[in-house]
Amino acid sequence: MHEIYKFVSGPLVWLAFIIFVGGSLYRLISMAILAKKKDGLVYEYFSLKYAFRSIYHWLIPFCSRNSQQHPWLTLVTFAFHVSLIFTPLFLLAHIILIKESWDISWWFLPEGMADFLTIVVIAGCVFLGIRRIVRPEVRYLTNTSDFIILALVGLPFITGFWSFHQWPGSTFMGILHIFSGEVLLVMIPFTRLSHMIFFPFTRGYIGSEFGAVRNVKDW
Amino acid sequence: MKKRPVKLSAPIIFGLVLCLVMTVFAQEDIVEVADSIFSGKKIRPPVPFHHEAHNEKAKIYECNVCHHVWEGGKKLEYETSEEMECSECHYDTTAAGYPFDVIKAYHDNCKGCHLQKKAGPILCSECHVKQ
Ligand code: HEC
Ligand code: HEC
Ligand code: HEC
Ligand code: HEC
Repeated sequence: MHEIYKFVSGPLVWLAFIIFVGGSLYRLISMAILAKKKDGLVYEYFSLKYAFRSIYHWLIPFCSRNSQQHPWLTLVTFAFHVSLIFTPLFLLAHIILIKESWDISWWFLPEGMADFLTIVVIAGCVFLGIRRIVRPEVRYLTNTSDFIILALVGLPFITGFWSFHQWPGSTFMGILHIFSGEVLLVMIPFTRLSHMIFFPFTRGYIGSEFGAVRNVKDW
Repeated sequence: MKKRPVKLSAPIIFGLVLCLVMTVFAQEDIVEVADSIFSGKKIRPPVPFHHEAHNEKAKIYECNVCHHVWEGGKKLEYETSEEMECSECHYDTTAAGYPFDVIKAYHDNCKGCHLQKKAGPILCSECHVKQ
């Protein structure tokens, strides 16, 4: 037990972050090189102004036409993504462990609030999973890996929720929580989860093309 | 006639209760960590800690493994500080307005030894046990 805990909370954390950061850089750089080869003009007409204008309109809920046409999906995905990013960064337990390791700390969410946001993430995973099954137009684009990715995202939240509430087996769940978080980090650069790192660039690319070249809105 | 037993027993009951309360306080058995800096605003369940039983079971013979005194960056070998609470020295020094330093002192001390000895609780849920 102590050995496993030491391993997942020590070397594995480092390994996960190194692969996450290194893998993300690798994906970004190789994408930049590919873009240069395939469509070198991108670099000519890429415009920060139009890039940010587009990112802004797609980031704020109900700002884009697409999001106005699907209000429920917009609401769920927005709540899902905000909770997904926010909760781990401002979770008291995470900050306490970082304080123990590096002697730094910052503002944290009240634990009841974190509990609620965790439920939002888990419910969001369930919603997105069911949507992939019942909506024919989404089902058409779905394969097994999409469900595996949803499970990978949900697992750290389910196990964290489980051990926080000290349901039976919470020691095992606590270890699985740490491990599943590390697996998720490692998977981000190499799966469809990479939209997390590519989003500003793909959106900025389209925004620049529509704004600077075609002079139309892209939202 | 009817009131008499009550009048007689009242002082007796009072005395018994007093004895009970006094023995409870006199024993001063520590069964959980209750640093006053967290009193009334605990976020997590209290940590069960049977002071004597713990230290006997863990074979800790020196009080200053926990109740230590430092001077010039060094722990003093023979000095102890059991009359003080950990938070009296490890008070909050961050701008966060929350006593992370005290929590760190407890966690480093308790969990640090448990990890080193490969015995005793190390996960949040193993120490902050829900009642
Ligand atoms: C494993 C760490 C540890 C060791 C070893 C230890 N103590 Fe403690 N002691 C504590 C903790 C924790 C508390 C509770 C602090 C609190 O609740 O504020 C405490 C409380 C006390 C208190 C009560 C202080 C108060 O303010 O009520 C006394 C007295 C005390 N210890 C004496 C001793 C003596 C004497 C020894 C050595 C024989 C010893 N302790 C060894 C951890 C330890
Ligand atoms: C008389 C003041 C004082 C008291 C009381 C005190 N400490 Fe400390 N402690 C210090 C000083 C000074 C240091 C060294 C500087 C530092 O790391 O903050 C220290 C260091 C530490 C460290 C890091 C070094 C190590 O020994 O591992 C831990 C952990 C710690 N204390 C825990 C505790 C706990 C738990 C208690 C209560 C049982 C406690 N301290 C009571 C003054 C005190
Ligand atoms: C110097 C080492 C050391 C320190 C410091 C220490 N412990 Fe322990 N603790 C142990 C060991 C060793 C065990 C395992 C005892 C056994 O089961 O044989 C243990 C077991 C426990 C247990 C399990 C209960 C039991 O009786 O089996 C609890 C709870 C616990 N410790 C709480 C604490 C808390 C809270 C602190 C900090 C205030 C603390 N310990 C500090 C060594 C330490
Ligand atoms: C080895 C036992 C141990 C472990 C493991 C442990 N704690 Fe603690 N924790 C303590 C002790 C002892 C205190 C001081 C409690 C007190 O004085 O009430 C404390 C204090 C706290 C406090 C401040 C008091 C409160 O409830 O507001 C918080 C918050 C806390 N711990 C959270 C955590 C979290 C989150 C984890 C897991 C990452 C964790 N602890 C793991 C022993 C432990």
